[in-house]
Formats: sequence, structure tokens, C-alpha cells
Amino acid sequence: MSLSVTIDPITRIEGHLKIKIEVEAGRVVQAFSSGEMFRGFEQILIGRDPLDAQQITQRICGVCPVSHGIASILAQDSAYGVTIPQNGRLLRNLIQGANFIQSHILHFYHLAALDFIDITSILQYQGRDRALLDLKAWVKSAGQGDNLLYPTAPFLPRYAGDYLKDTELNIGAIRHYLEALDMRRLAHEMVALFGGKAPHVASLTPGGVTEKVTIDKITACTWKLKKLQEFIDYSYLPDVAAVARAFPAYFQIGRGYGNLLAYGVFPESDQNGGPCLFPPGVVMAGKPETFIQRKITEDVRYSYFAPASGIHPASGTTEVSYPKAEAYSWLKAPRYQDQVMEVGPMARIMVAYLEGKNSQVVSLTNKLLSDLGKKPDDLYSVLGRHAARAIECKVVADRCSQWLEALRPDQPAYRDYDLPKEASGVGLTEAPRGALGHWLEISDYKIKRYQCVVPTTWNCSPRDEKGNPGALEKALEGTPIKNQENPIEAARIVRSFDPCLACAVH
Amino acid sequence: MTIVTRRKFLQYCGSLAAILGLGPSAIPAICQAIDQMAKGRAPLLWLQGQSCSGCSISLLNSTEPGPAQILTSSISLIFHPNLSAATGHTCLDLINSTVDKGGYILVIEGSIPTRIPHACMVGEEPIDKMVIRAAQKAKAVIALGTCASFGGIPAAENNVTGAMGVPEFLKLNRIGTPVISLPGCPAHPDWLVGTLVYVLKFGLPNLDKFGRPTMFFAKVLHDQCPRFADYEREKFAKTLDEDGCLFRLGCMGPKTYADCSLRLWNSRTSFCIKAGAPCIGCTMPEFAAKASFPFYRKRELLPLPDRQPAQPAEVRP
Repeated sequence: MSLSVTIDPITRIEGHLKIKIEVEAGRVVQAFSSGEMFRGFEQILIGRDPLDAQQITQRICGVCPVSHGIASILAQDSAYGVTIPQNGRLLRNLIQGANFIQSHILHFYHLAALDFIDITSILQYQGRDRALLDLKAWVKSAGQGDNLLYPTAPFLPRYAGDYLKDTELNIGAIRHYLEALDMRRLAHEMVALFGGKAPHVASLTPGGVTEKVTIDKITACTWKLKKLQEFIDYSYLPDVAAVARAFPAYFQIGRGYGNLLAYGVFPESDQNGGPCLFPPGVVMAGKPETFIQRKITEDVRYSYFAPASGIHPASGTTEVSYPKAEAYSWLKAPRYQDQVMEVGPMARIMVAYLEGKNSQVVSLTNKLLSDLGKKPDDLYSVLGRHAARAIECKVVADRCSQWLEALRPDQPAYRDYDLPKEASGVGLTEAPRGALGHWLEISDYKIKRYQCVVPTTWNCSPRDEKGNPGALEKALEGTPIKNQENPIEAARIVRSFDPCLACAVH
Repeated sequence: MTIVTRRKFLQYCGSLAAILGLGPSAIPAICQAIDQMAKGRAPLLWLQGQSCSGCSISLLNSTEPGPAQILTSSISLIFHPNLSAATGHTCLDLINSTVDKGGYILVIEGSIPTRIPHACMVGEEPIDKMVIRAAQKAKAVIALGTCASFGGIPAAENNVTGAMGVPEFLKLNRIGTPVISLPGCPAHPDWLVGTLVYVLKFGLPNLDKFGRPTMFFAKVLHDQCPRFADYEREKFAKTLDEDGCLFRLGCMGPKTYADCSLRLWNSRTSFCIKAGAPCIGCTMPEFAAKASFPFYRKRELLPLPDRQPAQPAEVRP
């Protein structure tokens, strides 16, 4: 006899997500992932000036706006037939790279870590670190002298569960949680140096970037980056390894289908379609394949949209159908060759690792796996996702310093172009959470069609036309749940995907 | 987060006074306000409607106070969807028992879908119902960001959800709780922190006809723009890589009330115009509203401006 457990709202993600799990004999037998918020960007864009798109689509998400801006201007670059100058490419990579760093640090510490580390450990702290003593005093005194119902919110209440027991590790992680707040803010300063502001960057444009390259900005960016690199190397990566050592079972939890998809990101050449820092690719049941764009389709059988499944986004539409029988999510169900795919840092790292051309990706991955006594196949898991995200953060940060080196203050970052009356374009890139595509059609100088397929749309999709569960829904299957009032195991799986629902639905 | 010495505390109050445009005589009052916050007397409930979380991310970019200081000393953040340790039904207990008790500040980020209530659900409850319950018992409501203040992009032409800003929604439902609008896409963290301190110590700040605190939104950006001299000398950029005033490329500076050009974004790093991008008017009630009104001009530049300012220099309440 199965028991239905609803987890709603899922916190410490972006956006509105409801998870329903059917538990039988202490294990999840079925899971349903529901996006619970809709705005309708694709309709709102119709009839607008195409140049509006990169500002409007950034507002799909406040955590990864840069990637949407990039996808939009890539689609427009291809529609307008413009090849951007080298400075423009490097600045775009730096703006996007800095936001990757911000997003990954935010994710591990402020979104995911509270599922593993025990914040109450701070009461055992005996040292002299001022920030930790301050926090200890706050936890101890909270509730005394005022009449608040939940004095230690937002850190408590929380699920009961098997949190990390090692006090020293906990306290170190708590210290880093606090430092990580400063670090992600610093990463956004890095975005703003060339972007104007973060979130919702001003300087992205078809043709390049509006900001100019100057030596003071290069210098400031370099030194902000150095602090971030230190944090990644000395705190973030070791903390992920420490959590992995303390929770080894989570290398066998949350596997999913084992199909991965990446479009590629951070172009390394000024030629369109040239190599990228993270290459495009597909891994189908463990085997690498070439990525072919036309194999992407979206199903809507279980989604609140008018019934037209199996359509490629270049000819797609978004017409709301609510209420609708069988439907349970505002997400469409993207599929690749009718297969359910997972996207994200783990997909990018695995594609690059199997390709073998990026020696840093290969060596960092091998080192982490050997330190933990794991194999590459163990990356298809909760901990595999966290580990891949941290490795990717380091690879991006280290490459940023090389992009900074290559900037030229006397060179343009923008190339002008003429706006066409009729055109179409596609922009494929990666957001921190995975493969991202914008498909644009222009008619009579206005947007005629605009479709987005966003990373979390892939990862948190509902069932497709054939009834195949989405990537997260599958990853939840088989999970042991000790206590259905505190389904922390399920929550850990959900958060390993770093879901962003505003993105997924758009 | 660092332990605060008395000297640092006064420095911090001083910088906050400068942020609020208050003189040195306001410093003791601000210290008391912050002390009150530090004793956890400002319970804060944070709900998200049709939002992108950008305003929350923006708050995390706050400097002096930083987010750790805000979280543990400045407010009691009872519930926040992106940050709370609680998951699932525990969150609903947090929200419901707080609403029952009353006496909190309610921050709402994102718009409310009035035509399709299921377009935003929390704990299987439509957000419009939750906002009505929560706003009725709140001491004050802060509509954070342009979506919550005016509807924003979700409320733009061709939207099907009937997205609406919070003040309009509350008025429609006859809820009289005072509302402060802090637009911006996203809202600048200083605007939220400054408004919270003001509310706790002095009560409601002076608001303009759109519910925006005049301490932040009294002047058009144009009047405080570093490229104002270019505008005066009629040196206009004709493409995005040219120097000069961005007016002819579509800059909304002359119509947009915000202090971005002085305050700057991300720990005083930069702002849109400084990065070579025209202002798109993200604090305006009509931001992005019309499909036919573009952010940028390219094929046809805006004509040379006439020399009269488009709006009065200062908004009288």
C-alpha cells in the first residue's frame, strides 16, 4: 500500500516547485514534479522589437539572467549575421563566467548545505573567531527578551535528519557559509564591472558588449577573481569533498536515467561555431554521441499547454490550457530523440571528461574521484552533481584569469550591424543549471516567435507524451525514505539538480 | 559577519544616514532603530508571487550591512523561499502561525496572477489568497521590485495571467494595510534596507503618488547623470559603441525616477549608463508595459530633444 507525500513548497531552490512522492515499503516508487508558477515570456515577447529580447528574457530569472541574455544575443547575432570582435567575446565570457561562479557558490552553501551541515553545532564552538562567536551568541540569545515565534529563522526549523556529526567540520562549513555570502556578492561585483549591474545586466547586446575595456576594470576584475579563486580552492572544493566523505551513500542515491546533454558554453574562438571551454555533447546511457540540435522536441501532454507534443522549439508555441485533464505542471517536457535528458554541471563535466581534450577537467575529476575512492560512473548521483558543480566552478574561475589577460584596452568590444526585416536565429549556451536555448523568428522587424527551452525545463519536466517520467522524477525513484514526515532524502535529491522554476516555466 | 565595535557601529549608522540623505543629527535615532532590529523586533515574512527572485539576489548583494548582518542582527527573517532551512509543510506552519500572530512586516516580490490563480501556488494555495491573508495581519507591506510594485514584465501587454502589482491588488480587495512600493528591476538593496530602518524607527516614509519613498525616487536619473554634460553639449551617441549621451538610442533617463547614477550597483561598482547601456526605465510604473514601445532605438534614432525637461525636476508628494 503506497503512501503519498507532498513536499510543497520546496525551499532553497529558485521558484515554485511541488514534489509528490509515492512511498511503498519505505522507498519511493513514483514521483511527480510540478512547476507551480507561470508568467508567459514567450507570448509577451511577440510583437516586440527584437532588441528588447535580451533585456526581457534576462528577467526570466534573477539567479542566471546573464545566460538568458547571452542566449538571446547569440540568437540575434545569428539572425543579424554579425560576428562579434574578440573583446566582445571575452567580455561576454567574463560576465557569464563570473555569474556561474556566483550561482555555484550560492547553490552549494546557501541552497544545498543546510541539508547536510548542522547549524546547531555552533553552540559547541570554543574558538576565538569573531564571526563564529557572534553567530553562537545570536543562536544562544535568540528568543530571549522578545516574543518571536521562530527566533532562529531562517536556519531553524528544519527537517529532522542525519546531519553531519563532526563538530569541527560543521563549524568550518558554517564559517564558510558566512564567507560565501561575501564571495557571491563579490562575484556579482565582478559581473557588474563589465555588465553595469547584477542581476539583470545592462551591457549585453547583439554585436558584442556596450562596456569598454579599460585597464582599471581589468585590474579590478583580476583582483576580485583572485579572492574568488582562493575561496574555491581552499573552502568550496574541500567542503564538497568533506560532505561527500560524510555521506558516501549519496553517490548511490539520485541516479536518474544516465542520459546527459550539453550545448557547449564559453566560446574560445572568434569564428562562429568554434570550440568552447565546455564542449557540446550527448551521453546516452553512458556512451558519448554528437549533439544534433534538430532532435530537440517538447511534449505537453502533462503540461498546462494546448495539445501539440513533439514540436521543435523553432516552430513551437506556448498557448495556455488551464484547467487541463492529466496535466500537473507548468513545465513542458523537452526530450532529445524522445529520450529524457539531464543537463547541468554534471552533464558538462562528463561530456568534457569523456571527450578528454580539457586536461584540467580530466585531472580535477580524476583527483576528486580517487580521493573519495569513487569511479566516474558514481558521478550520476546527488554527490556527483555537487562535485561536478564545484569542479566546474574552479575550471571557469581559472579560465577567467586567462580571458582577462587576453583583453585589449584599445580594441572595440562591439561591432555594429543592420536590423533585418525578416530573419531567424538560434542561441545555444549553458546556464549554471544546464543547457539553454532561445529560438527567435523576426517578421516585419518585430518578433514573430520566441521560444526558450531552459535547463530546469529538462531536469524537472513532467512525464512526456509516452508517460516517461522526467529526469528528477526518475532520480527520486527507489530512494529510501526513513520518515515520511521528514523526507530529507528526497529534498537532497531535488536540490542536487539546483532547480530554477522561474526559468523552467518562463 | 563581524562583531561590531562601538566605533564601527557609529560609522555604519553614519553611512546609513548618508544613504537615507539624513544629516548627522539623525544618527542617534538610526542607532536606536538598528538596535531594535538587532533585538529581533522586526519579524519579516517574505513571499514570492510571479517573481524571478532577482530582488532577493539583489538584497544578498547588500554592503554595509551585508546579508549575514541583516539575517542575524537586523531582521528576524521568519520565512524566505530561497533561504529558509524549513521545507514543505513546516513552511506552511511558519507562514500560518506568523499570520495568526500578526505584527510583522510583509515583503512581497513578484506580481499576483489575477486571471489564472493557479499560475502561482504555494503549498497548494493560490498566492492571491495567501497574500490577502498575510497582508491583512501585517503592520506594513513592502512591494519589492517593479513586478510587485506595478506588475512589471509579467503584466506586460499580451500576458494571459492577469498579473498585477501588489498595491493595486490590495486596493481591489479592500485591504488597508499601508504599502510601500520599491520598484526597480531588480530593486536596489539599499532601497529595501533603508526603507526597513525608516519604517521601524520613524514609521511610514514620505511617498510619491506611486507609493515610492521620495528619499530614493524623488529625482529623475537624467538630472544626476554623469553624461548630462554630453546631453547639454548635444554630443549624442548614434551607435552603442560611441561615446556621448545615450538619449537618441532610447535612454529613459529623463523620465525615470531613481538614484542609480549616484548610488551605483553592486557595492558602488557601476550602473547601466556607465556601462554604455541606455536606461530602460525599470523603476517606472509603465516599465516594459507596451509591446510597441521599445527599450532601444536603432533603425530610427530618437530626434534631438527639445531643451525643456520632460518632467518636473522633483516630484512633490
